[in-house]
Amino acid sequence: MAALKKSTELLESVYSVVALLFILVACVGLCDAAAAVDVYRLIQYDMSGSPFGSRFAALNHHAASLSFPPGADLSRTVLIIPLRELNITFVREYITQKKPLGGLLFLLPEVLSFKHGGNKQVHEKEKMKKLLAELERLLVHSNIPYPVYFAFENDDIDTVLADIKKNDAMGQPATATTGGFKLVIPTAEPKKVVSPTITNIQGWLSGLKADGDANQLPTIAIVASYDTFGAAPALSVGSDSNGSGIVALLEIARLFSLLYSNPKTRGRYNLLFGLTSGGPYNYNGTQKWLRSFDQRLRESIDYAICLNSIGSWDNELWIHVSKPPENAYIKQIFEGFSNVAEELDLKVGLKHKKINISNPRVAWEHEQFSRLRVTAATLSELPVAPELFEGTGSLFDGRQYVNETAIIRGVKLVAESLARHIYGHQGKNVQIFADESSLAVNPAYIRSWLDLLSQTPRVAPFLSKNDPFVVALKKELADHADEVNVQHENLEGIFTFYDSTNARLNIHQVASVTFDLLLLLVLGSYLIVLFCFLVITTRGVDELISLFRRPPSRKVKTA
Amino acid sequence: MTMFHFFNCAILTFGPHAVYYSATPLSEYDTLGTSVKAALVYLGTALVKLVCLATFLQVSENDGFDPYQELLKALIGFIDVAGLYFALTQLTHRNISQNHKFQAVGLGWAFADSVLHRLAPLWVGARGLEFTWDYILQGLEANANLVLSISLAALGSLIWLRKNKPKTLIPIIYACAGIVATMPSITSYLRRGLGWHFPKVVGFELFTSLVMAFISWQLFSACQRPST
Repeated sequence: MAALKKSTELLESVYSVVALLFILVACVGLCDAAAAVDVYRLIQYDMSGSPFGSRFAALNHHAASLSFPPGADLSRTVLIIPLRELNITFVREYITQKKPLGGLLFLLPEVLSFKHGGNKQVHEKEKMKKLLAELERLLVHSNIPYPVYFAFENDDIDTVLADIKKNDAMGQPATATTGGFKLVIPTAEPKKVVSPTITNIQGWLSGLKADGDANQLPTIAIVASYDTFGAAPALSVGSDSNGSGIVALLEIARLFSLLYSNPKTRGRYNLLFGLTSGGPYNYNGTQKWLRSFDQRLRESIDYAICLNSIGSWDNELWIHVSKPPENAYIKQIFEGFSNVAEELDLKVGLKHKKINISNPRVAWEHEQFSRLRVTAATLSELPVAPELFEGTGSLFDGRQYVNETAIIRGVKLVAESLARHIYGHQGKNVQIFADESSLAVNPAYIRSWLDLLSQTPRVAPFLSKNDPFVVALKKELADHADEVNVQHENLEGIFTFYDSTNARLNIHQVASVTFDLLLLLVLGSYLIVLFCFLVITTRGVDELISLFRRPPSRKVKTA
Repeated sequence: MTMFHFFNCAILTFGPHAVYYSATPLSEYDTLGTSVKAALVYLGTALVKLVCLATFLQVSENDGFDPYQELLKALIGFIDVAGLYFALTQLTHRNISQNHKFQAVGLGWAFADSVLHRLAPLWVGARGLEFTWDYILQGLEANANLVLSISLAALGSLIWLRKNKPKTLIPIIYACAGIVATMPSITSYLRRGLGWHFPKVVGFELFTSLVMAFISWQLFSACQRPST
C-alpha cells in the first residue's frame, strides 16, 4: 500500500516536472527579431489632473513611413519619422485634430546620442535645434492617445525604414493581410510614480570669524538647479540647462575651497552652495530648501547667485533680477559683475522682471529667493524667461551644443566678482583666479563633469533618493565644502508622472495571414496528391477509387 | 497567426510520414509496431552517435569546412547504417513481408529523425513573430529525408535480407547505399565547403532524394524479378 502511494507520489512529481518543462518550452525564445533598438518614450504626466504626453507604452503594430499612400487607414500603424524628413505641420495636424494613429516613432540623428555621436559636429545645428524645440513643445503640451517613442538612427533601423518606404511607394500599406514589418514593444501599462522625491544638496564653506566677534558672518549663496525635464525623460540630459550651471558651481566650490583651506586667505563670508532639484516645476525644490532654513540664517544671506544655462553663449550674459535695478544691493552685484566682465572682454546685461505673486509660474530660480525677501540674481545666457518645461533639458540639449570655453569664462566671471566682494577689492584690477596660477580654472575638471552630466538623465521623479548620480554630486560637493547636507522632500503640487521611460523595440518581419492561408492550401493539396500517388503506385488506381467509394463498408468489416 | 504558421510548418514536416503510412499497405498490415521499434533504435543510434561525436570531434571555432573533421563525421555517420542493420535484421517482427518491413523501418527511422531534429526548432522558431522561409525549407528537407531513409532501408534490406540477388547488380546496390548513407556529409560539404545557401541545398536534397528513390525502386524490382 505504502509502496503504491509512494509510486503515485513519484508519478505526480514527474507530472509536475513535465508540466514545468512544457511551460518552459512554451516561454522559450520569442525574441528573434530582425532588429532590436533602444527606444525612449515621450513623457507622460498629468498637470492638475488633465493628461498630457503619450498615454500608452505598449506597442504592437505594423510600420509605415511618411510616404504612405494617401487615404490609408493608420489607426493600427506606427509612423516612423526621421527627424530630417520631419514636417512639423503634418505632425501638428495629426495631433491637434486627434487623427487616429497606432503610434509614432521619431528617429533622431545618431550624432545627438552621447554614446555614438561622441564629439562629432552636428550639421545644420541651428535648424535642427529649432525643429526639435518646436516638436518638443508640441508633444509635451498635447494629450496623445497612443505611444510616442524616440530612437536614434542606426544601420539596422535604416535598412528597415528603407524597406518600409519601398513597400509604401508600391502602394502597399502594411496591414495584417499584406505582411511587412511589425513593431513590438512588450511593456506593461505605465504606472504612476508614487510620491516622487526631490533631493536638495547643500554645502557650507564657513568663513573666518574675527576674535570676539559674536555676530554671525554674512553668507553668499551660489545655487544651481540640477534636474531636467524633456520630451523623453530617458534622454533629458540637459548639458546646458542646467548641466553647465552644475559644472560651474562645482568648479567655483573647488576654487573657493582652495582659498578657504588656508586661514590667511579665508574670507569673512560664509559660502553656501546649493544644488537644488525640482527646477522645471517652478523651482519647487528651491522653495522647500529655503523654507527649511531658520529665519536667522535666511536673513544672514547677503545675496544669492543662481546659475542657469551658461554653456552656449558667445559674448553676452544676462543678470536677471526681480527687484528694480535702482536697488542698492542689485546695483552692487551688477557693478561687481560688469567690472569683471569688462576685464574679461565680455558683456553683461541687466534684466528686470517683476514677480507676480498670484501667478504660480516661477520662471527663474532667484524669484524663489526674492519671494522670501532675499536678494538674488540669476546669471544666464537666456535673454528672456523660458516658458514652463522649456529650456530644462530638451532633446537637443546635449554635449554637442555646449561650449566648454563659455563655461570657463562664466566660472571666471562669477568667481572673480565673488572674490572681489569677499576680499573687498571692488573696482580694483586684481586677478585672483588668473590663468597659469594655482587658482586657475581647471578645464579638465569642467570637461569631465560636463561629459558625465551629458550622459545622465536627471528628471527628478525618476531619480531615486539614493541614485548614484545624487550620491556622486553629494560626494563631489563634500570634497570641496566643510559640511554637506542632503534634504529629501516630496515633489508636491499639480504634477503626476508615469514610469516606463525607456524600452526595447523589436522589429519583426512578418508574413501575412493571406500567405499562411495560401501555404495551408498548397500543403493540403500536396499531401492529397502525395496520398493519391502513393495509393496508386502501391495498390493501384482501383484501390484509390474504391477507397472513396466504400469507406463505411470497410469499417464494418474491421468491426 | 504565428500559431497558424507553426501549424503549417508542422504539417509540412510531419504530414508526409502520416500520409505515407496511411496510403501504403503498411496501415493494412498494421506495421506500426515495427515503425515504433525502428524509431527506438534510431534514438539509441543517435545517442551512440552523439557520444562518438563528442568524444572524437574537436569543436572548431570557425564555421569552415575541415576535410579531416568531416571525414570523421562521415565515419561516425555510418553508425546510422549499423543501426539500420540492427533494425532490419535483429528485431523480431511479426510475420511481415520484407517489402513492408523495410518501408516500416524507413518510415519509423525518418519520423524519429524529424521529431528529434526539427520539432524543437520549429516550436521555438516558427511561433515567433518574425517570418523566415527557414522553417518551410526545413519541412521540405524533412520530406527529402523521408524519401532517403526509405531508399536506404530498401537498399539495406536488399543487401542483408535478400539472399538470391543477381550478381551483376550487387556492386550497384552497394554504391547506391554508400551514396545514400553519405548524403548528410555531402550536404554538409555543400553548405559549408561551397557556401551554398539553404534553399539551394534543400533543392539539391529534394532532387537527389527523388533520383535515389527511383534508382532504389528500380533495383528492388530488378531483384524481385528472378525470385518470383
